[in-house]
Amino acid sequence: MSANLFLRKNTAFSLFEINTLEATDQQLQAISNELGLSLSLQEMKAIQTYFNAKGRNPTDVELQTIAQTWSEHCFHKTFKGKIRIDDKEISSLFRTYIAKATEEIKPRWCISVFEDNAGIISFDKGYGIAAKVETHNHPSAVEPFGGAATGVGGVIRDVLGVWADPIACTDVLGFGPLNYDYAKLPAGMKHPKYVYMGVTAGIGTYGNNMGIPTVNGAIYFDDSYTGNVVVYCGCIGLLLLNKYKKNAKAGHLIVVAGGKTGRDGIHGVTFASAELTEKSEEVSRPAVQIADPIQEEKLKRALMEIRDRELGSATTDLGGGGMSSAIGETAERFGCGATIELDKVPLKYAGLAPWEIYISESQERMLLTVPPENTEKVMAIFEKEDVEATAVGKLTSEKRLQLSFEGVTVADMDMQFLFAPPKSVKTATLQPVNVEEPQFPEPANLTETLLRLMAAPNIASKESVVRMYDHEVKGNTALKPLHGEYAGPNDAAVIKPLDNSWKGLAISCGMNPNYGKIDAYWMAAAAIDEAVRNNVAVGGRRIALLDNFVWGNPEKPERLGSLVRACQACYDVATALKTPFISGKDSLYNESPLGTVTPTLLITAVGIVPDVRLTVSIDAKAPGNLLYIIGKTYPELGGSEYYKLNGFLGKSVPKVRAVQARKTYYALTKAISAGTVKACHDLSEGGLAVAAAEMALASVYGAELDLRKLAEPLKRDDFTLFSESNSRFLLEVAEKDRESFEAIMKGKACTEIGKVTRTPRLVIRGFKGDVTVDASVADLRASWKRTLSSEA
Amino acid sequence: MKREEIKTLIMRVGGTNCDAETQRAFRELGAQAETLHLNEVVKRRNLMDYNALVFPGGFAHGDYVRSGAIWARLVMAKLGKELKAFIDEGRPILGICNGFQVLVEEGLLPGFEGVSAYPEASLAPNIRGYQCRWVYLKNENRGNCIFTGKVPEGKVLRMPIAHGEGRFVLPKEKEGALLAKLYENDMVVFRYCDKNGVAAEEKYPVNPNGAFHDIAGICNREGTVFGMMPHPERAFYWWQQPDWTRQTQMTQYGDGKLIFESIVEHLAKRC
Amino acid sequence: MKYRAKIEVSLKPGHSDPEGETTARLLKELGYAVQAVNVSKAYTVNLEAASLKEAKAKAEEMSRRLLANPTKDNYTITVEEQK
Repeated sequence: MSANLFLRKNTAFSLFEINTLEATDQQLQAISNELGLSLSLQEMKAIQTYFNAKGRNPTDVELQTIAQTWSEHCFHKTFKGKIRIDDKEISSLFRTYIAKATEEIKPRWCISVFEDNAGIISFDKGYGIAAKVETHNHPSAVEPFGGAATGVGGVIRDVLGVWADPIACTDVLGFGPLNYDYAKLPAGMKHPKYVYMGVTAGIGTYGNNMGIPTVNGAIYFDDSYTGNVVVYCGCIGLLLLNKYKKNAKAGHLIVVAGGKTGRDGIHGVTFASAELTEKSEEVSRPAVQIADPIQEEKLKRALMEIRDRELGSATTDLGGGGMSSAIGETAERFGCGATIELDKVPLKYAGLAPWEIYISESQERMLLTVPPENTEKVMAIFEKEDVEATAVGKLTSEKRLQLSFEGVTVADMDMQFLFAPPKSVKTATLQPVNVEEPQFPEPANLTETLLRLMAAPNIASKESVVRMYDHEVKGNTALKPLHGEYAGPNDAAVIKPLDNSWKGLAISCGMNPNYGKIDAYWMAAAAIDEAVRNNVAVGGRRIALLDNFVWGNPEKPERLGSLVRACQACYDVATALKTPFISGKDSLYNESPLGTVTPTLLITAVGIVPDVRLTVSIDAKAPGNLLYIIGKTYPELGGSEYYKLNGFLGKSVPKVRAVQARKTYYALTKAISAGTVKACHDLSEGGLAVAAAEMALASVYGAELDLRKLAEPLKRDDFTLFSESNSRFLLEVAEKDRESFEAIMKGKACTEIGKVTRTPRLVIRGFKGDVTVDASVADLRASWKRTLSSEA
Repeated sequence: MKREEIKTLIMRVGGTNCDAETQRAFRELGAQAETLHLNEVVKRRNLMDYNALVFPGGFAHGDYVRSGAIWARLVMAKLGKELKAFIDEGRPILGICNGFQVLVEEGLLPGFEGVSAYPEASLAPNIRGYQCRWVYLKNENRGNCIFTGKVPEGKVLRMPIAHGEGRFVLPKEKEGALLAKLYENDMVVFRYCDKNGVAAEEKYPVNPNGAFHDIAGICNREGTVFGMMPHPERAFYWWQQPDWTRQTQMTQYGDGKLIFESIVEHLAKRC
Repeated sequence: MKYRAKIEVSLKPGHSDPEGETTARLLKELGYAVQAVNVSKAYTVNLEAASLKEAKAKAEEMSRRLLANPTKDNYTITVEEQK
């Protein structure tokens, strides 16, 4: 690599000009690699053309700014770019499948979808609900505690970025098996147990310290997560819709508030060859970020007061890409340009180059635009809360981004160029997986099987983790993640956010990565169905969805192919269920020395409970009450926990009959509103048997079921009990409500299948009338609690 | 004094986070409640305008050094005189969770011989780390504590805890003698127990943090300064309870309301 | 043989240390002329090993595997025989 590509400018601080004027393709590629820009040759050439027309070279600040603005993280090239598949071309996955579903459903209650830091829906009494889910996989792989904690911090700032007060957090985590063989672990890779301990502690610490209850989530174990830990962090916020101010104008000041700026999060940059750096680095470049939740708590207080007094004109968080993306996107959104004096940014330590300041991802920082006449008041609020805030520049009517440092111009680019990257074109192929249905005899008795399933890591109680999260702070958690004395696993959490309203918010999720090993389409469909049915189960309706994809390298056509399949399912199922997407995010390139991540789609669902007093929990309420199974059971065990327990994957992946499902959900919602449903639990991992066991173990009672009562029985008891067919529930109904309940459910797949019993045993009779499961609830509870108990 | 004339101050600093629901509890009972940052109280020098003071839960200053330690030292340095006058006049001070830690670090609790210059007890790290769970508490107070005026002696209440450092301990070498003193002066208020009121005997999870003698809350000799680890403000309404969906008879409130009701009633009668 | 290892884990320079920074700020508020505070964690580990060398190696391994995260932490180890 010849050093004359990088020309040190004669400035008192570090500034380089990058010689692109006459650079060859090879040199352009080398520049991208050397500076860690991750820009393709096509993109580098577009940059070259732009600067050649200006007759000058770009500076390091300019190149780094462009690289951040055009990055996958900030611009979502894969979802917005072109995809060639077979003979067809998809102009944008996002437009074609995700946004289109929302456009077609046309929900009047969606206030802001996809365009801001978080999606916003209307709630009650002039309030809206903001929701956002993010991933923080890579930082959590490097430093589990800090990575997960700053993931929570980041998504909370996204919610602050729409002027909303964060009222609940969610977290869905994916780890490798906790008993993974140390000997098989590649050098430098952290053991799943270490990652698990660090990540769960990090999630808890941030939410707890900020006083935001962590109310919903899931933990999923999969081999592929050993090298690619999956950390989804979500946040729900509350805002008065008339305080949702986004009216920045030229002349408004740009203020950076919160933590100081350091080299945090600047990684992959290899700008350290001997000729280039005169001064050796005194300070390392930490890719690892350290969380300071108290800083963010103070920042939140200040922002909420600024919001209430309507002193700011816009706000956004400083996340991926740091100031470069926050300032650029803010200026772009309001049709402005910006001038910034980078030397005004408060630093953690001296010696940062201008480009480092501009792209730093230091935590706990927010950007605000403030009309000049309000500046004094805004600064007084920050001071009262002990938060540092600095005006670093202003919005301009000229649509240019101009950055200076100590009076020297270090970047000067047209906004139009910056926000029109060349469209990426990727190729996808659809490659069906070669899977087979296993053949094995049915066990004579399924009691032992059920006890083992209860202890399977993906089914077992997550109580030891959930107890580390404060799910009660703010005193508004009406339905808790751990229900009652036995910590039963409620399907969704319900929050009652307003003191003067009984309206509640149901928060649930769905994720079935194992199905994706058979078909990504049905995996995505199942995730949506699961999130929705969990929400419906507690009484939620008018449901909005958030999609979060974690995939491998999209440059590999078969990985992109499965992504296309999953997006198709998103469109099909969301439109059929009439559940719009309001926000989403993708994390691609999740690859490790152990291979690619299992394609994973998390669906988060946010529904409305018209009156929290009608909320339904999972625990069996009274002996003698009837048990109904809602929804049809098919021989769908592909990817199920039952097959997994027996060492199989299988082929018969659960499908979603979405049109039918919607009718079932509608009827069930009516039955809940009528007060006829005493308990409800969705059927998911482990199927009917596990749902019945959970309903019993959350209470002091037992249950008896008789499979002979099913209208269309399957051939085997084990398949019936453990099938994971979607859109099903187990319900408890009082004998006195039998008629009114059955009238509501008329025409739907709804079968009375047993009773709640006073004796705390789960007894299930098979098709032949013999008892195939007979277990004490205490044993079921013990198996379920053992696997992940903190005592183990 | 009429209820609506009672003025309560909920103090906060960076990291305090249970102020809103604590304020809500007082307001629901008809009293005034205002939340102010310590910086504001110092600036306005208005502590004596209030009839009661609450240190709410949270992670004040990140709980760095020790839980509650930094907030406690700052309050004593900046408002020490006013606080002393506040206590001397017998105006109630309540500390919940982090607030209890603050009262211990300030030397206000236990306060065997009045306000102590250094902490006389400690809320040490839990034996099993951070815990968020519902617990049962037995009122052991014989009538000294004004914060449990509405709670009959021996009554079992249910509230949630959520903390990592709440294991009440006394200096090992004088444990027995100090405990005797706590009882002698009627300073023991709440002990962890099972739902039937049987003492936890320091067994997890009935005693969730390993506290000495299952102590969950104590007051000073005068009964006017009170600290407790559980959160009454999160057990104020019936729908906050962990299994209200099981209850056939719905009441309006949870057990936590009794604490706030006791303070308000005490103040209403007193002045 | 019984050994006692003292392992001190501290943040590498350049990383934020919110705990240290907060403590320093508040010590200043209390009137102390403090420039900076850094927080480190000290572990005293009692262990068995065949030799001092092995004990050191084990302490080193524990530090790398659990007590410290080399991406952000420095650690120092002193090992002595327990009499």
